[in-house]
Amino acid sequence: MSIFLHVLKIIVIVIAILFGVTFTVYIFNLDMKLTAAIEPWLLKHYDKIDRDQHL
Amino acid sequence: MAKQVGADRLGDFYKEGSRVRKRREWRGLVDTMYDYSRWLGIMMTLGKFVMKPRNVKAMFRYRWMANYLAVPMMVDRHTQGLRGEYLRICHEEQDLVIKDVANLLDSLFRGDRRIGNDKKFSDKVVLVDENEMTAVMMGFPTLKCLSRETPSTYVSVLLNQRAACHYIDVAQEFGLAGDVCPMPEAEAGVSIDDDAPILGACAIQCNTTCDGSLLGNGVISQRLEHEDGIPVFQLAAPLRHREDDVQEYAAQEIRNAIAFIEKHTGVKWDWGAYFECAKRVNYATKCRLEWLEMNRTPYPQVFGSNLALYTETNYMAICGRIAAFEKADTKITKLARQAYAKKKMAAKEYRHRAIVWGVQSHYYMDFLVWLLNCWGIVPLTDMLSMVSTKELVTEDTPENREQAIYDMAWLTENMIMRNRTHGGYKVLLDELWEFVEMFNADMVILWEHMSCKALDGMHGLFEEKAREKGIPLVWVSHDLFDPRIISRQGVRDQINSFMRTVMQEEPIDPSLEILPDDQSW
Amino acid sequence: MKDLKNLIFFENLLLEANNELIQKAQSEGKICACYTCENTPEVLLNLDGCFSARLRAPRTGSLDISTYYMTSFLCEYSRALLERAIEGGYNFADCIITPDGCSMMNRCIENMELLEAVGKGKDNFFFEYMEIPMKADDNGLNLYVLQCKNHILKPLSEKYGIDTSDAAIRKAVKEHNHICELIRAIGDYRKEDNPRITGYEFNVITLATYVAPKYLIADKLEETLEELKTREPYEKGKFRARVMVVGSEVDDTDFVKLIEDSGAYVCADRFCYGSLPGRNPIILNDEEDALTQICRQYMNRGECPRFMNTQKMDHRRIYVDELAKEYKADGIIYEQMKFCDPWAYEKMMGSQILRNKYGYPVLAVDRPYSIGTSGQMQTRVQAFVESIEIKKIQRGDANG
Repeated sequence: MSIFLHVLKIIVIVIAILFGVTFTVYIFNLDMKLTAAIEPWLLKHYDKIDRDQHL
Repeated sequence: MAKQVGADRLGDFYKEGSRVRKRREWRGLVDTMYDYSRWLGIMMTLGKFVMKPRNVKAMFRYRWMANYLAVPMMVDRHTQGLRGEYLRICHEEQDLVIKDVANLLDSLFRGDRRIGNDKKFSDKVVLVDENEMTAVMMGFPTLKCLSRETPSTYVSVLLNQRAACHYIDVAQEFGLAGDVCPMPEAEAGVSIDDDAPILGACAIQCNTTCDGSLLGNGVISQRLEHEDGIPVFQLAAPLRHREDDVQEYAAQEIRNAIAFIEKHTGVKWDWGAYFECAKRVNYATKCRLEWLEMNRTPYPQVFGSNLALYTETNYMAICGRIAAFEKADTKITKLARQAYAKKKMAAKEYRHRAIVWGVQSHYYMDFLVWLLNCWGIVPLTDMLSMVSTKELVTEDTPENREQAIYDMAWLTENMIMRNRTHGGYKVLLDELWEFVEMFNADMVILWEHMSCKALDGMHGLFEEKAREKGIPLVWVSHDLFDPRIISRQGVRDQINSFMRTVMQEEPIDPSLEILPDDQSW
Repeated sequence: MKDLKNLIFFENLLLEANNELIQKAQSEGKICACYTCENTPEVLLNLDGCFSARLRAPRTGSLDISTYYMTSFLCEYSRALLERAIEGGYNFADCIITPDGCSMMNRCIENMELLEAVGKGKDNFFFEYMEIPMKADDNGLNLYVLQCKNHILKPLSEKYGIDTSDAAIRKAVKEHNHICELIRAIGDYRKEDNPRITGYEFNVITLATYVAPKYLIADKLEETLEELKTREPYEKGKFRARVMVVGSEVDDTDFVKLIEDSGAYVCADRFCYGSLPGRNPIILNDEEDALTQICRQYMNRGECPRFMNTQKMDHRRIYVDELAKEYKADGIIYEQMKFCDPWAYEKMMGSQILRNKYGYPVLAVDRPYSIGTSGQMQTRVQAFVESIEIKKIQRGDANG
C-alpha cells in the first residue's frame, strides 16, 4: 500500500511539475519566443543550400 | 486578465519589433485550462511530426518549412478575445486543420524523391492544385490526393505574413511582372526555386480562380512534366459556370480527368466511396446552412474566420473525403446551437452587421477577429464562404452515377472564390446585395485585392450600387500574399479612418487601433 | 523606297473606330458585329448582311472614367475600350460579342452593358458572352461549336435575320480566305533579305483588315500586292537587325514604328491582331459542316496563352521558333501590355525558353496601350539591337 502511495505521490509530483513547466511555457508564450529565436538561423541555412533555379 | 468577453485590452499583448506576442491570454480558469489543453494537443501533433527523421530532413531542405515554427501562434491569432463556445468552435476547426496539414506534410515527404523516396507510396499519389476542388478524387479512396502548394504557400502565409515574399521575388527575378496575383506568383516561385517536393503518379491541375492561377500552373507543369516525368492533366472548368450550355463540357472534363487518373495509377473509380463522400458533403452543406441561418439573426455563432477558414478547408480540400471533418461539423453545430439558445455574443458589443466581400488578405486572416474586437463589426459571412449549397445525389443507381458526374463538375466549377470571380457580374455584383438583404447587414467590407483583376474590374459599379442602396461600403486594399505592398496596419488604417471619419465612431478596444505587428509572424 | 499608294488610305482607317468603311457598309444596310478577342471566330461575323469590326480605341487620351470603374490595375486596352464606349465612341456597333478570354476583357464589356454605354437607340442591339475552350481537344471542339451556335449564329439570325446556313458560312470563309491570302502574300515579302515592305507598313495593312469591312478593302489590298511586285526596297543597311514581335494585343502601329525607328526590322508579327496566325486561311472540306471545321481550326491554331494544356503551351514556343527561322529573325521581342496576366506569364516563359533552350537573343518588355514615342522603349530596343550586332560580330570571330 505504502509503495502504491509512494508511486502515486511521485506521479502526482511529476504531473504537477510537468503542468507547472508546460503551463509556464504556455502562458508566457515561451514556445513561440524560442522558435522565433531559431528562425533566423534556419533562414541562413536555406540561403546556403544549392538550388537548381530554373523554370 | 478576465473571464468576461471584452475585458482585456488585446493590443497590450503585442510588442514592438517582435515576431511573437508577450504572453497568452488569461480567459478565466475554465477557458484558460481549455485553451491550454488544446495547446498541449497541438504540441503533441507537432511533436509526433518531428519524431520522424524524414520530416526533420525536410525541415532543413525546404525554406517554407520554417513557417511551421509558428503554428501555435496562428491559433492564438484566431482565438484572440474568444471565450466559451466561440473558443471551442475555433479550436475544433483549427486543431483539425493543423492535424490535416501535418498528415499532408508527412505524406508529401514520405513520397518525395529527395526525402523519403517511398516509390510505392508515391505511385499512389495524385497531385492537385492548392486552390482546387478535390471532387474528382472522391471515388479514389485508396489513392492519396496531395497538394504541394497548400503547405508551401497557402498555409505558410497563414502562419507567417512574409512567408511568400522570397518566392514572389524569385518569380520576379525570372521576369514575371510584379502586378500579377502574388498567390500563383509565389507558387510559380516555389517551382522555379526548386523548392517543391517531387512525387506522384500524376497531377491534376485546374483553371481555378483567375487568369493568373491558370497561367501559374503552366510554370509548375513545365518542371513537373518535362523534368520530373509526372504526367499532368489540365482540368478546364468552364468560366461561365451558371450557363446551361457549358455543363456538358464540364462533365466531360470530369470523365476525362477520372480516366486519366485511372490510366496513370491503375486504380479504378469506386462508386461506393464516391457516394459515401457525397453524403458527407451534403452533411457539411446542411451544417453550413444552419450556421448561416443563425447568422441572419441578432445572435450569429459561426462567423468571421471561424466560418471562412473552415469552409475553405472542408468544402474544397476535404470535399467529403475525410470522416473526421463530419465529426467536427457535428461538434461545431452542437456548440453553435448551445450558444444560440443562450443568446451568447462573441464580443461585448455588436455595433454593425457586415458582409465581407472580395478576396481576403491572406497575410491577415485574423483581420475578421480584429474587426469584431476593435470596432464591434460582426463579419456575418464572407464571399469565400458563400459557396454551392446544391445537394448531391447519394444513392448508387445508374441514373445517379450520371448525375454524380454533373455534381462533381458543378462543384469543380464552383470552387471557392472562382464561383464569384468567374461567371459574370451577377455572381459577384448582384448577389452581394441579395446577401446584404438576406443577412440584414448594415455595412459592406469590400476587400480590394489589388492584383485581382476580376474584382477590380467591378470597382466603380460596387460603389454605385452601395450609394443606390444607402449601405456604407468600406474598401480595404491589400495584396493578398505580400505585406510589403500594404502592411497589416495599412489594412487596419483603412477601417480606422472610415469608422472615425464617416461613421463618427470610437473603437470598442482602442488598444487594437494601432498594433506594432509589422515584424510579427 | 517609294511610298505605298494606299498607305495613307489604310492609315486613315485606323484613326477612328468608326472609320469611313464601317460607315459606308452600314449605309448599305449591313450590320456591324463588333468583337474584342481573337478567340471569337471572326469569319462568322462576316456572313451576308453583316461584317466584323474588332474594337480599338485609337488616339486614346485620358482613362479617368474607366479607371474609376475598373481601377488602374486592369490593362489599358480594356480601360481604353470602356472609356471610348462611355464617350459614345462605339454607338455604331449593332452588337458586341466577346468570349471570357481574360477576366479584364470580360469586365470591360460587362461594364459597358451595365452602364448602358453602347447600343443606345438600337432596338436589336445585343451583348453576347461566350465560353471558349481552354484546351484543344474533342470536348473543347464540341463546346466551341455549341457556343458559336448559341452566342453568334442564333442571335444574329434571330435579331437581324442573317442567313447562318452552312452555305452562307462557306461563302464567308471564301471571302475571308481571299483577304488572308492577300495578307500572306504581302507578308511573304518580309522574308526577303532586303524586304520591299517595312514591318510598319505591313502592320498598318493587317490591322486595317481587322477593323474594316473586308469586302470594301479587298481591292486596295490587291492593288498593294500588285504594287509590291515591282517595288524597289531600301538600300541595304537601313535596318541593323531583324526581329520578330511576340506577345499580347498590339493595335497601336506606333509600337512597330518605334522598333523600326530604333534600327530593328520587324519581320514577323506573332501577336494578337497580327497576321501570324490570325491571317491563316481556313481550309474547308465538303464532308463535314463548315462551322465545326472553322471552330477546329481556330482552336488548333490559337496561340493565346489562355490555352492551358501542355501540348498547346509547348507549341507556343515551338511556333515562335518556327516563325523566327522562316522569317529569318535575329532576335525576338516579347511584349506584354502592362497588367495583362496571361501574357505576363507567357512573356516570362517564352523569353526564358526561347533564350535558354532555342538560343535566341530575347528582349522582354511591357508597354502601355498607346506607346507614342517612348524614349524609354527606344533605348531598350536600341540596346537590344546593339547586343544582337555584338553577338553577330562575336559569332563571326568565332567562325573565323
